[in-house]
Amino acid sequence: MDFDFTDEQYALRDAARDFFAGECPPSRVRARWDGDDHDEQLWRSMAETGFIGLTVPTEHGGLGLGDVDLTLLLHEAGRAVVPAPLLETTAIAAPLLVEAGTDQQRQAWLPRITAGEAVVTVQLDGAPFVVDADVAQLLLLERDGQLHAVPRELFQATRQPSLDGARRVFTVEAETGDDTRMAGGPQAAAKAFDRGAAGTAAILNGLSERLLEMTVAYVLQREQFGRPVGSFQAVKHKLAETMLLTEPSKAATWYAAYAIACDLDDRSEAASVAKSFATQAAAKASAEALQCHGGIGFTWEHDLHLWLKRGKALESSYGTAAAHRARLAEVVFAS
Amino acid sequence: MDLDLTTEQQAFRDEVRAWLEANAPAEPLPPTSTAEGVAAHQAWERRLYEAGYAAIHWPKAYGGRDADMLSVAIFSEEYARADGPERVNVLALGLAGPTLMVYGTDEQKARWLPGMLSCEDIWCQGFSEPGAGSDLAGLTTTAVRDDDTYIVNGQKTWTSQGRFADWMFALVRTEADAAKHRGITCLMIDMRSPGIDVRPIVQINGDAGFAEVFFTDVRVPAENVVGEVNDGWRVAMTTLGFERGTGLGSHVRFSRILRELVTLARAAGRDTDPIVRDRIAGMYAETEVFRHNTYRTLTCMAKGKPIGPEASLNKLYWSEMEVRLFETGMEVLGTLAELGPKSSAVTDVLGHDAAALWDHWHKRYWYARAACIYAGTSEIQKNIVAERLLGLPREPRG
Repeated sequence: MDFDFTDEQYALRDAARDFFAGECPPSRVRARWDGDDHDEQLWRSMAETGFIGLTVPTEHGGLGLGDVDLTLLLHEAGRAVVPAPLLETTAIAAPLLVEAGTDQQRQAWLPRITAGEAVVTVQLDGAPFVVDADVAQLLLLERDGQLHAVPRELFQATRQPSLDGARRVFTVEAETGDDTRMAGGPQAAAKAFDRGAAGTAAILNGLSERLLEMTVAYVLQREQFGRPVGSFQAVKHKLAETMLLTEPSKAATWYAAYAIACDLDDRSEAASVAKSFATQAAAKASAEALQCHGGIGFTWEHDLHLWLKRGKALESSYGTAAAHRARLAEVVFAS
Repeated sequence: MDLDLTTEQQAFRDEVRAWLEANAPAEPLPPTSTAEGVAAHQAWERRLYEAGYAAIHWPKAYGGRDADMLSVAIFSEEYARADGPERVNVLALGLAGPTLMVYGTDEQKARWLPGMLSCEDIWCQGFSEPGAGSDLAGLTTTAVRDDDTYIVNGQKTWTSQGRFADWMFALVRTEADAAKHRGITCLMIDMRSPGIDVRPIVQINGDAGFAEVFFTDVRVPAENVVGEVNDGWRVAMTTLGFERGTGLGSHVRFSRILRELVTLARAAGRDTDPIVRDRIAGMYAETEVFRHNTYRTLTCMAKGKPIGPEASLNKLYWSEMEVRLFETGMEVLGTLAELGPKSSAVTDVLGHDAAALWDHWHKRYWYARAACIYAGTSEIQKNIVAERLLGLPREPRG
């Protein structure tokens, strides 16, 4: 039994951390709030490093890696609150095209994803809106249990005001028909949802980890009563309680990634455990970060809110904690 | 990442499972708070010993199997799955024995380790005192050298197995004037020595599980000192380090409590109540996260990375989760939760089988709180996490 990553996987994580530190500083996230646009340049450079095509098979130019590798990349993207639809395109759409697309759809889209020429976004059953739909070249859509691959000219996107200005969401109206149908059905869609939940959990874990680091740095530097506020037990214990959720949450998310990669029987269950727990952990990390930053964290100027708002937005994305617990209750009370 | 067991590990699991199925007592043994219960548990330990399962993590040289952490976890999982009896000598096998292996002389090891393994000798731990809890180094039980013996005076408390123990591994103050952490020595004390008075303490759940131990001019041979004189703090830290590795199969126990909650909810007709479903599903997620995190810890240990302060996170997690598990049971029973064991009113509602689960619920509910205090309170654990994992300033230490 080996519940750990390989050296190569850790090298990928380190590369991603370095890349986002250099290419995606908070100023770049903030620029999306101000510009209300997609960062085409960031997307292209993420494609050049291989991140966008991470899950695309090598015959289509990708890295051919799987869900376990991906969970580390998503974690890093969460740390940097990357303002790009990596989850939709790389974590959900690319594997969905591989597993449920027609030959033609795969041939047409997978190389373009790898090259960074196509953003592909998704709308699974029940999701009221779609991320980055205005710049997406393709929309993978679940409707009445059927999956469709809808090209840009067949859907309309309407921008909706949202909580996180660097995560742009849209309602869409799409024309679907026989020519947009994908080969896979409800099972492929269910797996895509699990990927969304486990992937969101990974992003939340990265976000929580970074929030905790920022808060620790702040309480070490901020002094009151002649000493760092981080020396007071009331503050120390808040942050210890945060870590008590954020660290175990990682293990649950890794397991979910592993269960998806291996298609284990408890795949959906594992995704629900991961997403519900990561949501709880992120809520705690966010609340304590804001409290421990005091007045400065309450300002628009401070970067903290970039993380808080992404976290809040993702809490309800791909199933709220309560929705995932309802799924778990079905399992628990069935046996 | 690969969560499958190897062929050898599967074979070991199957072997343990088969042995436990054939040998584990079908009925619960009497509680270890009674002499009869201790004798029954000692007999059970003897069977484990004869089958080579008493302490598989011990080196072969001392009668163990040199088992790696994963095998220890597999054994613990199977033991929990078979609902095996409480391990009455866990303080000897998990703490005193391994500490003795580090600091003991060959004579000391030959003298004490065999009795620990066979459970002929039951051991208790003499660390806590009325004035020394979280601040362990504040202990004041003294040992004064007199020729080839030490004369011990003072008091230990919250001593688990204190009433029935044959031996105590104790921390005593051997130099009054030294700095607090300096003048402490680790001493093995024969619990039948004249001058020892053991008084059972009835716990909040009604059981007499621990005791206070009074020492009045108790003479202990100087050869019973383990490690160097006045170096007992280092010995104690080693002991507490072993404490970190314990409980690796406990996720099975928590999964069982979760299933009990489901049984109670069904029997009480509350399995369709959305609030109850949400609460139990949330507890299920917590137990699953704990299980995954256990595998993460085991992998680290298997790769030779010792667990340090991460153990504090682990202990905080399971101890507080256990409290919530039993609290959830109280919520599931609703108004009936006030009713105790053998209540006909409870049996009328739950039926006989589920009511049997309820018979011990109150005791377990209260006992769950113990783990938030023993082996480092939750507050101490949070300090350790904050200081050693997050790098926040240390608490002032006297």
